[in-house]
Amino acid sequence: MAFHKINITVNGDLEQVVVPSNMTLMRLLRESLSLTGTKNGCSAGECGACTVLMNGEPVNSCMVLAVECDGSSIITVEGLAKDKRLDPIQEAMIQEGGVQCGFCTPGILMSSRALLDHNPNPNDEEIRQALVGNLCRCTGYVRIFESVKKAAKKQKITT
Amino acid sequence: MSLNPHPALPEFEYIRLATLAETSDFLASHANEARPFMGGTDVFVRMRDGFLSPKFLVDVKNLNGTNDIHFDPKTGLTIGAAVNMNRVAAFPEVRRYYPVLAQACQSVASYQLRTRATIAGNICNASPAGDTIGACLVLDGVLHIHGTDGLRQESLANFFRGPGKTTLKPGDVVTAIHFSIPPEDCQGVYLKLGRNKLSDLSIVGVTALAHPDSRFLSGYRFRLALASVAPIPLIVEAVETSLGNQAITLEALREAAGLPSEACTPIDDVRSSARYRKQMVKNLSTKALTAVWVKLRK
Amino acid sequence: MVNDTQNIHSPVGENTIRVDAREKVTGAAIYADDIQFGNSLLYARIKRSPHPHALIKNINSEKALALPGVKAIVTGADFSGHIGLYLKDRFFFCRDRVRYVGDPVVGLAAVSEEIAEKALDLIDVEYEVLEPVLDPEYGATPEAPLLHPDLGEYAVANFIFPQPGTNISNHFKIRKGDVENTWSKCSAIVERKYRIPHIQHVPIEPHIAVAKVDESGDITLWGSSQSPFAQRNLIAQSLGISQSKMRVIAPYVGGGFGCKAGVSMESLAVAIATKVKGRPVKLLLTREEEFHTAFVRQGLVAYFKIGCDEKGQLLAMENTFYWDGGAYTEYGVNITRASGYSSSGPYVVPNVKTDSYCIYTNHPVGGAMRGFGMPEMHAGLEQCIDELALKIGMDAVEFRKLNCLKTGSILVTGSKMHATGLPECIKKAAEAIGWGKKSPPSAPNKRSGKGLALMWKAPAMPPNAGSSAWVELAEDGTVNVGVGGQEIGQGVFTVAAQMAASALGVPFESVRIATPVDTRYSPYEWQTVASRLTWSMGNAISNAAKDARRQILDTVAEAWGETPEDLNIVNGVVISFKSEKEIPLKNLVIYGLPKAGDKGWRGGPVVGRGNFMPTFVTGLDPETGQGERAVVHYTTGAQAVELEVDLETGRVDILKCVSAFDVGKAINPELVRAQMEGGFIQGMSSALFESIQLKNGIMQNPSFVDYRIATSSDVPIEMQSIIVEVPQEDGPWGARGIGEHSMVPTIPAIANAIYDAVGVRFDGPPFTAEKVYLAMLDTGIVKG
Repeated sequence: MAFHKINITVNGDLEQVVVPSNMTLMRLLRESLSLTGTKNGCSAGECGACTVLMNGEPVNSCMVLAVECDGSSIITVEGLAKDKRLDPIQEAMIQEGGVQCGFCTPGILMSSRALLDHNPNPNDEEIRQALVGNLCRCTGYVRIFESVKKAAKKQKITT
Repeated sequence: MSLNPHPALPEFEYIRLATLAETSDFLASHANEARPFMGGTDVFVRMRDGFLSPKFLVDVKNLNGTNDIHFDPKTGLTIGAAVNMNRVAAFPEVRRYYPVLAQACQSVASYQLRTRATIAGNICNASPAGDTIGACLVLDGVLHIHGTDGLRQESLANFFRGPGKTTLKPGDVVTAIHFSIPPEDCQGVYLKLGRNKLSDLSIVGVTALAHPDSRFLSGYRFRLALASVAPIPLIVEAVETSLGNQAITLEALREAAGLPSEACTPIDDVRSSARYRKQMVKNLSTKALTAVWVKLRK
Repeated sequence: MVNDTQNIHSPVGENTIRVDAREKVTGAAIYADDIQFGNSLLYARIKRSPHPHALIKNINSEKALALPGVKAIVTGADFSGHIGLYLKDRFFFCRDRVRYVGDPVVGLAAVSEEIAEKALDLIDVEYEVLEPVLDPEYGATPEAPLLHPDLGEYAVANFIFPQPGTNISNHFKIRKGDVENTWSKCSAIVERKYRIPHIQHVPIEPHIAVAKVDESGDITLWGSSQSPFAQRNLIAQSLGISQSKMRVIAPYVGGGFGCKAGVSMESLAVAIATKVKGRPVKLLLTREEEFHTAFVRQGLVAYFKIGCDEKGQLLAMENTFYWDGGAYTEYGVNITRASGYSSSGPYVVPNVKTDSYCIYTNHPVGGAMRGFGMPEMHAGLEQCIDELALKIGMDAVEFRKLNCLKTGSILVTGSKMHATGLPECIKKAAEAIGWGKKSPPSAPNKRSGKGLALMWKAPAMPPNAGSSAWVELAEDGTVNVGVGGQEIGQGVFTVAAQMAASALGVPFESVRIATPVDTRYSPYEWQTVASRLTWSMGNAISNAAKDARRQILDTVAEAWGETPEDLNIVNGVVISFKSEKEIPLKNLVIYGLPKAGDKGWRGGPVVGRGNFMPTFVTGLDPETGQGERAVVHYTTGAQAVELEVDLETGRVDILKCVSAFDVGKAINPELVRAQMEGGFIQGMSSALFESIQLKNGIMQNPSFVDYRIATSSDVPIEMQSIIVEVPQEDGPWGARGIGEHSMVPTIPAIANAIYDAVGVRFDGPPFTAEKVYLAMLDTGIVKG
């Protein structure tokens, strides 16, 4: 099987890695780059636990080949905080109690971050739609919705 | 087989060539071993499950024109094959002139899956459940295909041959799908019934489209397409005939809405039963036809 | 006892932020698959049975073993020890036969996933297919094939009663009063049969275990685990080694709900690892493997017959439960028992006859799932209650208020009910849902309805399931608390810190929980199950903190010439009521205090220790199920829902739900409400979407595509969670558990609301749109 040399920017850092054809972005992140915040829930594009931002848009990283990411910019949950200051969505998730077991949390944060980037003031329906690809078994989603709304409010104040 | 799917993707060679010509040649000369892919959301899953084991996966994104979405007020909308569904749904002219297409796109799976999913991919995958296919059919979409003989166009009308089967030949790469300017006052709706409120595959999908058309006795042309209740995505011609030949009343709409269940052949499967699907075809067709009629009359 | 240290600022009862939240939102939290094991890591795969029932005729692994990179292959021939929690009825790997699709037959480890996979395909197993048992009622008959001929020889806990020579692995009986002769006194009787399908826990983190056996034979097991100590115990016993030679390290759990309790796939990783000394072996289940082979919630066929007098007073119940326990029922037998001793529901019923059978079938293995038999049982019972109320002409809520348990009520086991807020829960839930007022539907094609259901549940565990804890302090006065209970999302590390802080007298922020749980260093905890940690582990933590407090106060009292009763610890400072002297903890918790005249030091490093065992539980008579004290306590509650049914599609939309549970004392009210929300949604998901579709013993929907669970789009617009607090006498600060209970009444609450809306009932969930629509079609409520 062929290996490919790629340039990929992850959380602002340019990485040069050699990847086999069949390596997914999820595995590149978790195994080659030791960024284990992104989680493997199904490897089938269904649960959303592996959601990361690729060129600003959320993708299921288990459904993207690493080799396709040559020249791309990836943000994972580890890249949300800036200089130890948590992203508003992270702060809100803590304050509103949107975290229980935490396994879906990184994916939820990335989908929420992208939503707020596109739509700084989402309504309930828009939040539900944006998160429908992120399965959570613990929280019942309610506090996750509250977290997104709180983050939206907080961002409004600071911008 | 599904007791032990691959934890990761099985081994294969990733191929990306610079031009359409090279790509078609490669695909044709490796006919049984190579497969094109765009978003990969169908292909990767089936490879993990062991249903597909291509030696080569050929990336057909980023080939000439496939990343562009473009609207020309004279000729219409051209969506490059690699344009993802989120981009399509957000494109201003899609929302303005082809809203049923935007609606269909937005009904697919989840936002993050739609970052990878493409309409062309949905079409080439030819699943009877494909959510965007109905809209493409009723809008008379035309595929631009590059093959070993160069570029050609194919109407979607005869494109589907069976579940997962199309008229595509080895070497063929869909480069775009084109929709001409829709008629004046065109109204459409896509109603999708899944098991959850959102994000599921369709148990039944109904696309309805209607617009004023003086060629028809009733003054209107209605079109209706079905998903998930036949081996291929299905346009129900009888609806067009029925509603083209009589005055449009709520009664006429209800009567016409009874025709799709007769035309379709749903099955019992792990998701739903044929009986329920037939009933839902009727109920959703009623709802869809009524909805576009109400919109038309506004 | 309620712990009152007269602390001015006690975190108990406050909505403190979760101690693990920051880690989890930054991606820093480590789960078992995140641990880096380096290049020596081997990858395990399991060859599993494709048949529900078959004899193993031959296993040929030669070609696989010869494949370069394959380091170990093991089969049942290598491990002869039985394993099981309440009944040792299985081996690590099948030895002579397979009993469910997915039963492990061969295990292997290789240097890469690819090689492990190739090796799997090179293993040939020959089977002689046998007739399977696919229904529990059939399985209980003499005609059915015998699945466990050795049932009589299995080691079994003394409160489980298997019937050798049959497929019945447990039979629990209630014989109370005189049911036979009471029917004639009933003014109304309801008789129903329900079929509750198998469902599954579906944690977002699949099962994972990494095992390493070193040269001396010491085993280390890392895993996503609710039961590190039980895993150590059971696996060691099965291997015939000392528990001291086995160490379990358990990081954060990405969802458990009971599926990661006891021992399941961990034993496979350990077994394989014994053949490759010195190298860690990782077994991570794919999602599909998770669906096919992980624990399930066993199916239930339940018969209810209940009757009341003309005033609506319940007189008699006759209930028969056939639990589809699956291929091995080492855990499931206790669900049979628990449902038996709870079979009256939270009601006063003077005459009860119950037979609860756990039956072997060739279906996936039933384990512990949130509710432990209660959701399955209440699903039918609470619908019967509604039907009986209707028959006797009483409002469903009034009927329940009349018959529900109150403090001091005599229970189905003959025990007495402790102080309970159940009546208050009913009242508040009914009020909050607007009981008695019919809301107009939101559209002409919708019908709205309301439904309510009650529940009760006790922690189902052995009478001696214990907890322990230690408390130590550092040089700066911060506190480290050792626990053996696991953070599976419920928030136990947080409430543990709150309780330790309160009992000791230090600020919440100064307390850390010693994680990960590691059986080498952490104190013993029976299991993280049964909603028992807040109560049991909480008591142990409180005892440990009080022990530390006593050591501190003894030292300071001696140094100051005062008595410990004159001293207190407030916000990390020891103060004297008498002399008003003060000394911060950090000044003495490591080095102690100097004696006068340079004559040495007193005190020294403070290490508090505490444990807790269930306050006495008596056995139950095997013939009658009667006993003085069947369980440690019950959590009770009520849920009410308002929903709409779409007449065009049959879809059920939950508009509003109200939960009211008596938790005794909410150590952290927001965390309690979060359990009520999460439990309701998981319950709703099981009511509307979920079932394991089994055909010939094979799961037909082993993926997220076709095993549907609730998504963000399915959440009701309004959820209200009401905390009722009637203190638990032996609970820390009066607390009892909540984790499971919020999932228990959900199916019947929804079923009752569907009936209110459109007048149809079903013999079991899920109440899918299709099921509801076709029922409305068949009964003429809608026309085709």
